[in-house]
Amino acid sequence: MTTIASPASPYVPTRGRLARVLARNGAGYLFLLPWFIGFLGLTAGPALASLYLSFTDFDLLTSPRWIGAANYVRIATADPRFIASMQVTFVYVLLSVPLKLAFALLVAMALNRGMKGLPWYRAIFYLPSLLGTSVAIAVLWRQLFAGNGLVNSFLANFGIEGPSWISNPNYSLYTLVVLSVWQFGSPMIIFLAGLRQIPQDMYEAASLDGASKWRQFWKITLPLLTPVVFFNAVVQTIEAFKAFTPAFIISGGTGGPINSTLFYTLYLYQEAFGFFRMGYASALAWILLVIVALFTAFSFLTARYWVHYDD
Amino acid sequence: MTFRINRRGVLAGGAAALSASALGLPGTAFGQETRLRLMWWGSQPRAERTFEVSNLFMEETPGVTIDGETVGWDDYWPRLATQVAGRNAPDIIQMDYRYIFEYARRGALAQLESYVPDTLNVSDFDQAALDGGSVDGSLYGISLGANSSAMMINMAAFEEAGIEIPDNSLTFDEMKRIGEEITKAGKRQNFYGLSDGSRVEPFFENFLRQRGKALYTEDGQLAFDAEDTREWFQLWADMRESKACVPPDMQALDKNQIETGMVSLGHAAVSYAHSNQLVGYQTINKDPIVMHAYPRVAPDAGGGHYRKPSMFFSVSAQCENPEAAAAYISFFVTDPAAAEILDVERGVPESSAVRESLAPKLDETGRAAVEFIGGLGDLAGPLPPPPPLGAGEIDKMLIRVSEEVAFGQHTPQSGAEAFVAEAESILSRG
Repeated sequence: MTTIASPASPYVPTRGRLARVLARNGAGYLFLLPWFIGFLGLTAGPALASLYLSFTDFDLLTSPRWIGAANYVRIATADPRFIASMQVTFVYVLLSVPLKLAFALLVAMALNRGMKGLPWYRAIFYLPSLLGTSVAIAVLWRQLFAGNGLVNSFLANFGIEGPSWISNPNYSLYTLVVLSVWQFGSPMIIFLAGLRQIPQDMYEAASLDGASKWRQFWKITLPLLTPVVFFNAVVQTIEAFKAFTPAFIISGGTGGPINSTLFYTLYLYQEAFGFFRMGYASALAWILLVIVALFTAFSFLTARYWVHYDD
Repeated sequence: MTFRINRRGVLAGGAAALSASALGLPGTAFGQETRLRLMWWGSQPRAERTFEVSNLFMEETPGVTIDGETVGWDDYWPRLATQVAGRNAPDIIQMDYRYIFEYARRGALAQLESYVPDTLNVSDFDQAALDGGSVDGSLYGISLGANSSAMMINMAAFEEAGIEIPDNSLTFDEMKRIGEEITKAGKRQNFYGLSDGSRVEPFFENFLRQRGKALYTEDGQLAFDAEDTREWFQLWADMRESKACVPPDMQALDKNQIETGMVSLGHAAVSYAHSNQLVGYQTINKDPIVMHAYPRVAPDAGGGHYRKPSMFFSVSAQCENPEAAAAYISFFVTDPAAAEILDVERGVPESSAVRESLAPKLDETGRAAVEFIGGLGDLAGPLPPPPPLGAGEIDKMLIRVSEEVAFGQHTPQSGAEAFVAEAESILSRG
């Protein structure tokens, strides 16, 4: 029987499908291996373990005990702090994501006017995002917005006596929103790249037809930018749901004053590492995963009504 | 924040053998290299002292290396629990009365009685100190000192306002008046007489004990009711109303550390802490700090305070050389040179020999800490039973509910009802 080597891999004798695939793509899989091992060992494995733990009562010191869906039932029916942390998190996500994107777009448009030293400005504006989730910045924020902090010293010049922003439950969450908006760097860079893709002749044509800058923004810039807006919105929403460090540092891990900065992740952390309810915390984590997945799915489903692709 | 130190005391073998025998240690036990990890919570002054004593121990005990790690109280317990669960527990664990039952009963700690008295010399400890570290008849924790809850007073602020430090007859009514006067004197900016004590669990417990109640019963139920709690919240609502204590958005800056207390932040003349923390308070504050007992609910009320082991050293059940760990603990609590370094920063030493040798060497702060414990008189009562599972969560919850009352989201009445209901639900959940 004669063997006809496939044109794609003329030098490989047929042994088995797997061998053929390996021989053809072996190097690729080899390069993939470190990531794959990391993914299995550090992401998928622990994630599955936490799925199991979410059906148990586990206090770290003794072995997990299977209790079925009891954790989920409690979360759904008898946990006021779950509801409180959900409210805080949704307010945070719904405020910080649009504000941050709007601000990032504003700065990107300002930087896109062909000014001198653009790389420098870009780097400087990006800097807060690099430091953003670090402990140092959260500590700095505490200093800025404390009762005798810099913000109030500044306000005092105008005769305004500001409250202690971070330790007042009416304002503390909004200082965290401001902190998030300040870290506009990475969406800004992406917007900037998106703005560069828009053909200049469109603006020229619009100008000839007498369209104002304002009208050009709404009719040309924004529609052509929607793929980038969409990408940024999805990424930033996921980031916002996962926010933890600022609230942890600024509230000293309590989510206070009075649950006002009790991010969902912070509540999860308290249950797990403060009160040693690992099983319960695992259940909370899986609920967060489902919520984020639903949000993302919703974004993708609605995308075709407002995201315009060139082709 | 973690500090790690990894220095090895190097000494000639002969001198080492000598000192080892002087310690009463079997020289052969430490034949090969032993590394012990030690973890504790506390502030910077405690870290310095602990590292110094560890170095001294390593100089005198060749072949044993002590690696020290320290974090703040709030971060300590999550870290310890994860390390124990990950089979990576420190060999020597600083332990608290609140947690020792939990850890011992779950098999995380080593029983220490077999090392007494040869390796672990606790012969001149008070029986009460040993009992405090015992669970179900076994010894799991060696008390590092006695303390009691206490008020820290900025003496300079009192003097500026022309107010004398009151004696032990102080009542809540007088304390309120003093607070108002200091606030009214206005000698410092953003400064009030008192911290808001409504969130401080040991203060609340003291208040309850003076009323013949307690936080928890022997069998781990609440030993107070909503009416006790309402009166407590009302008392502090009145303090806030008359500006005897700081406003809530100031108090909320307090993260339960010496560094963030209202006295250390310069917002109030009085904070609430533990007597051994006087050393830390005095290190951090430039003004002289004095200690005072909590006020009385009535002139003839007492028994709110109690003398308790401030903290223990325990040995992990996973420790490979528990004998060396026990030797370190013994050195820590009985060696005169170690005692001089440690001072009373972890409380008044439990060994009577150490107390005697230390007494003439104490500075003013140290003497004050010792005298405070000795001078409580009728203000002190018996040690309460160990707190039940969930007590730590209730402690955190008190902070939250007291804030809700302080910021006006609850009345003292509704706050008290919410607090008791939630505490009961936490206890039933365990």
